[in-house]
Amino acid sequence: MTVSVAAKFRSKTRAPKYLLAIPAIIWYLVFFAAPIAFIVLYSFGTKDTTKLLPVDLSSLSSNSYSSVFDETFFKVFRATLRISIVATIMCVVIGLPVAYFAAFKVAEKWKAVILAAVVVPSFTSFLIRTVAWRIPLAPNGTLSKWLVDMGYIGSNGIQILETATAVQIAIVYNYLGFMILPLFVALDRIDVRMREASKDLGAGRIATFFGVTLPLAGPGIIAGVLLTFIPMCGDYVTATVLGGAKGNMIGSMIASQFSGAQNWPLGSAMAILMIGAVLLTLIVGAAIFWILPRLARLASPLMQQVRRKIHERAASQVRSEKIQTRVKREVLSKVLAIWTVLVLIFLFVPILLVILHSFNAGSSFTIWSGSTSLKWWGELFDGAESFAVLIRFAVLIAIGLIAKTYFKNKTYLSSSLKTWIVTGAFVLALIINGVITNWYRTIFDFAGIGDAIRNSFIAAFGATIIAVIIGGMSGVALARRPGGWTKAFMATVFLILVTPEIMDAIALVTWFPRIKDVPLIGTIFSSGWGPFNGGINKLWVGQSLYASAVVTLIVRARLAGLDESLEEAAGDLGATPARAFRQITLPLIASAMVAGGLLSFALCLDNAVISTLLSEAGSTTFPVALLGATRSTIKPFWGVGAVLLFMVTLGALWFLAVLLRRGGDSASKIAATFTGS
Amino acid sequence: MSNEKKQLKMLAPEGFREKLSRRAFLQGGTALAGFALVAAACGSSDGDSAEGGEAGGENLASGDWSRVVNQSSGTLAMYTWGDYNDPELVGALAASTLNVTMKVDYYASNEDLITKLATSGGASGFDIVVPTGPYIPQMIEKGLIQKLDKSLIPNMVNVDPNYLAQAWDPTNEYSVCKNWGTVGYLYDTTKISKEMTNWQDFLDVCMGEASGNCAVIDAAPNYCGAWFWANGIDWNTEKVEDLDACEKFLVEEFAQHIKAFDSYPSTKLAEGAYAIAMAWNGDARQAYVRIEEAGGNPDDWKWVLGSPETELWMDNYCIAAGAPNAEAANAWINWDLIPEISIKDLSYHGYHTGMKNMSTLISEVAPDLTRGDMIFFGDDQVATMRTQVITPALDRLIDILNKSKAKAGG
Repeated sequence: MTVSVAAKFRSKTRAPKYLLAIPAIIWYLVFFAAPIAFIVLYSFGTKDTTKLLPVDLSSLSSNSYSSVFDETFFKVFRATLRISIVATIMCVVIGLPVAYFAAFKVAEKWKAVILAAVVVPSFTSFLIRTVAWRIPLAPNGTLSKWLVDMGYIGSNGIQILETATAVQIAIVYNYLGFMILPLFVALDRIDVRMREASKDLGAGRIATFFGVTLPLAGPGIIAGVLLTFIPMCGDYVTATVLGGAKGNMIGSMIASQFSGAQNWPLGSAMAILMIGAVLLTLIVGAAIFWILPRLARLASPLMQQVRRKIHERAASQVRSEKIQTRVKREVLSKVLAIWTVLVLIFLFVPILLVILHSFNAGSSFTIWSGSTSLKWWGELFDGAESFAVLIRFAVLIAIGLIAKTYFKNKTYLSSSLKTWIVTGAFVLALIINGVITNWYRTIFDFAGIGDAIRNSFIAAFGATIIAVIIGGMSGVALARRPGGWTKAFMATVFLILVTPEIMDAIALVTWFPRIKDVPLIGTIFSSGWGPFNGGINKLWVGQSLYASAVVTLIVRARLAGLDESLEEAAGDLGATPARAFRQITLPLIASAMVAGGLLSFALCLDNAVISTLLSEAGSTTFPVALLGATRSTIKPFWGVGAVLLFMVTLGALWFLAVLLRRGGDSASKIAATFTGS
Repeated sequence: MSNEKKQLKMLAPEGFREKLSRRAFLQGGTALAGFALVAAACGSSDGDSAEGGEAGGENLASGDWSRVVNQSSGTLAMYTWGDYNDPELVGALAASTLNVTMKVDYYASNEDLITKLATSGGASGFDIVVPTGPYIPQMIEKGLIQKLDKSLIPNMVNVDPNYLAQAWDPTNEYSVCKNWGTVGYLYDTTKISKEMTNWQDFLDVCMGEASGNCAVIDAAPNYCGAWFWANGIDWNTEKVEDLDACEKFLVEEFAQHIKAFDSYPSTKLAEGAYAIAMAWNGDARQAYVRIEEAGGNPDDWKWVLGSPETELWMDNYCIAAGAPNAEAANAWINWDLIPEISIKDLSYHGYHTGMKNMSTLISEVAPDLTRGDMIFFGDDQVATMRTQVITPALDRLIDILNKSKAKAGG
């Protein structure tokens, strides 16, 4: 064949650039774009409680919008905005020194420790952490009584709960970890030579910070701000638990319109206005940050004169300044170290309180009864049954380890086989114990919590698998086959990240009844398939949206940073695209996919808003059940459940870190993987 | 070989082998065994379930009661209000007596329940649901609940006829009384000096002595009801001038003094969060227990039944349409109507369960029941209680509540 004919032939049979992203595109169309479109439609309808789905679409009008445009909505939205902006700024102010300290002032080993200490509290159940704040802040609590006795505060005790301050503290607390991580990655990325050059050229430390470090870290700071500000706007759970009347956020108004008032048109209109307002705020914020450097540049001739004068004066004091600089550097390091320790204590105190109160002898989680008891933990295990199970476990693992040591020196077995012996023994132990005794059912079959935890895991696993598959594939497509479609797809991903959870939730809740008559898909969500009921399937869909967006970004970032030459070489050597993908690309992004999977697993485990609205009997997850309990009473065994979940996510996190570590990743690289940069 | 390993980034065997020495394994194993021993030791201890009075399950009531127990099988899913049944009755005791495994989920308002059932289109998976009376007609109309199988509920004869045949279900085809209750408020006499007896006192004190330290129930009819009752207006009114006046007072004058909209204030009261709180009688009764647990003095707190008028609400057992295990649902409801079981439940949640000859029953089965005045009300008191009627004005009331929340948010 001549070259031109061959080229034409090839271009006809070449797959479209977005081939790998097609699953994601279909998924987002069916479960995101279409439901949201219906919400927009509903916002023009009228409330009709005689119908099953109480919206009357026969005559469309914009009445809902005019009723929303009243004082109430804007007042609540202003309050929400105020709390979110203040909390974001505080997160930056509190988190930046910690990130700076970890990035520049400590050795590699300590970086990992600090990062782990920041991330680990973020993996406890977000709701139980929030509830735990009621313990130290209770007016009748131990801390309050002590402060009153010491005379530091008035006899009414600590009066922070049920005020905006409590909401502020809790929101900053819940999102601090998500700010520190991207800040650290951004700062760590900066080439140390840039900063050294700046100092060699005579800039002081402050000038270096504002002139070099901060601008270079700019994109990372923006990422951190987006990762925290937007979820804060939609978060109303924190405010409900701690804020009392002062914690009225826009999310709870929308939720109450939707289920409480059964006024779907009004709720839809509010949700749309809310997204619009959040986007507007982001645009305004971006504009401010765009204008500021330009304003600074206008003032630059003036700045240069000032700088020249300072430099002239400084040149004459060089020697004494050098000593002062060294002293200042040590003082700065110490101050930063103390600040970091304080922040870490702040992050860990509620976790420790949760663990402590799971041993509370009284019947309420938050009120300390003065004595400890193991009864809540005891209810989780069934005495002799689980003791026998644990013995069986231990025996099987011991056999596995002994076998491994025995085979250690037998070189005729490959080393990978030896690896799998222990893993195999563990899995065997699980299966044997499961099959023979149903131990997992016994341990977890404890009304309320056990079911909730099991459903949480099943839902999170399923959603994670979906997220990793479609997110991984789209990430590869975005990194390796960019084209015209990239902009539209990234806009969709961005929209998914920006949309408040409550909007996703109401969109999906109204969507599933609509599609229940569609042949195959409808039955999956009503009667389920296999051992999974319809409710679990709905949760998989609902939780996978945000999770897949996160995985997409992580995989794309990781792959974009890698050279394409390996894959091209595979092509040159005759591998088909599919084979190259399987044998070259997949291993390269393996760590990113695992990191993305872990992150989405943690996010899904903690998902409360979407899960509450989508849950049904047999698919209630832990956060949903806990949210229900916050409306009446919270018993200490919620602490037990939270600790269990915490240990599992901790274990998975440790496993991942070990995995990445073996692959030669440093702490910085691990952190970078997690934040998708 | 080694290049492959690096590229694949999978678990390498060397590290594990080195780290796991015999000593480490022994130590780890001992710790594991130790924990298992501890877990085994405490596995047998029972969690305390009765709050505010023992039920004395061994005492049998005298008289002619129907005590039929129908065995069933499978799983039973209940969707109900929070903390509304004795945990054993929806747990171990149900499993051993009826052979059903129970799962319980919670909601916080009737509208939440209706939305959940409506949007899941008959596949919600719930068997027993517990709506409040006035909402039952619309649930029947929308096909959200199905008829009870009365042949499987012979113990319905144990219910006092006064609590059967209600306006929302005259033939009890769809529902049977679970319990009924009322609303009032609880206040701390050490913080509030005024002697309080009615709703007007409540409104005055919340705007005065307890400003910024008070809680109201997070439900529009109850919240607005406080003002209607204080001013002698029917709380089911649809008159525009009444609603306007209510809005004017509650939103513009009252809302700014509210500390929290809380339907279950008992725990937070014990934490010291409020000096006065509107509450349902059962929750207020539980507050006394929590206050004592927290080290406070229950005698400092006084319960006031709403007056001159207040609410009478009744929650009912219904079976959801499309329930996966309707047979078990009927069996459980039937079992709950046995007097000893009903009183056991009563002792936990503190609401009148509608059994016949209640006073005799209590004296025989639960003689140690505390604070009976918060559970049982005299005829003269019941005469002041009014049931909710769902009217188009409900939208307006919800609007007033939302506006109040916005105003209280500051």
